[in-house]
Amino acid sequence: MTTSIKIPAPLRKLTGNQAVVETEAETLIDLISDLDKKYPGIKERIYDGKEIRRFINVFVNGEDVRFKDGIKTKITKGSEVSIVPAIAGG
Amino acid sequence: MQANLNRYSRQILFSEIGEEGQKKLRDSKVVLAGCGALGTVIANNLVRAGIGELKIIDRDFVELNNLQRQILFDEEDVKRNIPKAIAAVEKLKKINSQVKLEAVVADVNFTNVEAVVEGAKLLVDGTDNFEVRFLLNDACVKADIPWIYGSCVGSYGLTMNIIPGKTPCFRCLFETAPLPGMAPTCDTAGVINPIVNIIAAIETAEAIKYLTGKFEALNKDLITIDIWEGSFEKFNIADRRDKFDCPCCKQRKFEFLEAKQGSSITSLCGRNAVQITQKSIGRVDFQELAERLKKSGEVTFNKYLLKFSIDQYEISLFLDSRAIIKGTNDFSVARGLYAKYIGT
Repeated sequence: MTTSIKIPAPLRKLTGNQAVVETEAETLIDLISDLDKKYPGIKERIYDGKEIRRFINVFVNGEDVRFKDGIKTKITKGSEVSIVPAIAGG
Repeated sequence: MQANLNRYSRQILFSEIGEEGQKKLRDSKVVLAGCGALGTVIANNLVRAGIGELKIIDRDFVELNNLQRQILFDEEDVKRNIPKAIAAVEKLKKINSQVKLEAVVADVNFTNVEAVVEGAKLLVDGTDNFEVRFLLNDACVKADIPWIYGSCVGSYGLTMNIIPGKTPCFRCLFETAPLPGMAPTCDTAGVINPIVNIIAAIETAEAIKYLTGKFEALNKDLITIDIWEGSFEKFNIADRRDKFDCPCCKQRKFEFLEAKQGSSITSLCGRNAVQITQKSIGRVDFQELAERLKKSGEVTFNKYLLKFSIDQYEISLFLDSRAIIKGTNDFSVARGLYAKYIGT
């Protein structure tokens, strides 16, 4: 089972410029750990050790994971995972 | 049609606005915070659309590397070395003399932000750092003034509307700023002008909808766009308001206004230097920041300190995100450098 994660441009430096990354993880925390194995450093950027960092929003199939099961939110085949970091330029 | 509305005939023909909507625009006062890339496009659009009054606040001067995207400025403004708010108002007066324009050359901080937003029907965001947005959010939520957030870097941008009492606020979405050095800025990662135009265009459209009373047409989502790859996504964030115990809009603790969050700044007397201290807790990743900064200037670091030189300034950054900025006694110059290169 694979799921595609779209990596937003501001985080792509950490994925060697890959825009889409495949994972077989079944929960959000496993997905983040899996990402970090492939691209060390990305976990720390997204996750503070307990929860998703408070300046990052993660949506699974358009739903805010904070109001699902947080980092334990289930990822099923074909799920769309979006990471939206806060940005400041203007 | 009233004679002074003739110039807006094409906009009035648009049935969602009409003459009634145009008059509402004319009776509106808008505050624009920040007059850089987003700000110049928004100001240009709102003034051409015929809002009644626009106050522009910005702390910077026009530089040559602004002209690639900041549409109200030209080479003459760079030669004259004039503040952006002044240069913008000079141009805008020539575009539409019917609009009352005010330029404020100042750094927005906790001492003046409430005065900045006072009397506005709407605030539109053209700023370039997190701290000022948290301040504007506090001030607008407290005073019940709607505001429109927009930001961009590289080819990527975000925007959302904040209507106090009706939508989530900025802090509902982004409870804290990223740690210093963790988020790319336009000065470290660059920016292309099409993403500026599209985010500023959405901010303008939302402003026009709000000011003409078309509340049902307002965007309720968080919009993300990557203009390079052609993606446009909307995320439903309505739950945030109901389910999150937001320190700002739920608990009504205005921590940035009260300077319990954010930065403090002090002049280091006789040293031509300014110190900026962040109240956020967190350690800076020097390696990553150095990687980003090396394209812009000279950077060195050890276990304790990162030094970055740009133009006549030198920024010394400590692990706890405190910085000493040498080469200026001017707080707004120092804050500007911190926001541009350290990025919070």
